[in-house]
Amino acid sequence: MRAETLKGHLDGILLAVLEPGPRHGYAIMEALRIRSGGQVDLPTGTVYPALHRLERAGLVQASWSADGGRRRRVYELTPAGRRALDGERSTWRDFSTAVTALLQPAPPAVSTS
Amino acid sequence: MSGPGPPEPGPGPAVEGYLAEVTARLPGPARARTGIVAELRSGLLDATDAHRSAGLPPAQAAVAAIREFGDPVQVAVSFRAEIAAGQARRVAVTLLVTGPLVGLLWIATAAASHLGVRLALPWPWTGQSAGLSVSFYLVAVAAGVTAWAAIFGIATTGRLTRWLPARPRRAPMAAAVAGFGAVSADGLGLALLATQLAVAPERLSPVPAAAAAAASLVRMMLARHAARRCLAIRASLT
Repeated sequence: MRAETLKGHLDGILLAVLEPGPRHGYAIMEALRIRSGGQVDLPTGTVYPALHRLERAGLVQASWSADGGRRRRVYELTPAGRRALDGERSTWRDFSTAVTALLQPAPPAVSTS
Repeated sequence: MSGPGPPEPGPGPAVEGYLAEVTARLPGPARARTGIVAELRSGLLDATDAHRSAGLPPAQAAVAAIREFGDPVQVAVSFRAEIAAGQARRVAVTLLVTGPLVGLLWIATAAASHLGVRLALPWPWTGQSAGLSVSFYLVAVAAGVTAWAAIFGIATTGRLTRWLPARPRRAPMAAAVAGFGAVSADGLGLALLATQLAVAPERLSPVPAAAAAAASLVRMMLARHAARRCLAIRASLT
């Protein structure tokens, strides 16, 4: 799945990946790949600016950590981020229910004349 | 929270070459770039490690990591909006904080000097010429524009980002307007002071007047520089 297909949902997806606990940038990418069964494969470099934007919006907070000698920027959800994730989930449920219903083959039209 | 710290030694020429390509396309101050490049470097090293664990030799693992990160131009372009927002926010905050300080120095100057200006509540001031009234009015307008543009710039680069449509050029423009507003307010204040010096210098209280003039002069130059940088970074956004 390409970036264009995911457009509008990347924020929610990133928040969902951070829900279980804090992760650094590359771990977020790996989690995206694993949780989507390899379907989501974004250019990793473009995930970092999206994370910075979420940080600016107060949905995630970042801090530098030195784990095993390598310094990484670790992201975690803020309470506002959890609320935003709940919002994204219910929006997505409503949207996908509606689109699924609309895309289903319609029953043949019954003539009433 | 600590800073990015010194880079890890020996990430390899391919990774460094990629990072140099990204860096060359990032606008703004070096300080803003350092953290971004350090974060990308650690991510590339993690990716290289993952490919090595999967069995690739070091050099090929680095190449695979770079391929995974994608076009360095695209990475830099998507970071530009973030750098612009950060810069606009810093400029707006600085203007909003220094504005009242400089304003207080001017009020102290007016209060300590014998300008014949007396505050007769509720309004207007008495004992001043029409020209002076207009000048005060213009200073107030310039200060108001500065404050509102700065508040707008701060609001649209923070929490409000969640609900606003993404328009990366909006905040740098607001910060530039705030900067030029501050230049106008300080310039008008200095012009008023120059007029007073020419007409009746003996009425001015020298110490607060000198302090206010120095503060306004410094702020004027810095605000002009910051506003121009905000316009430049705004122009770099597509």
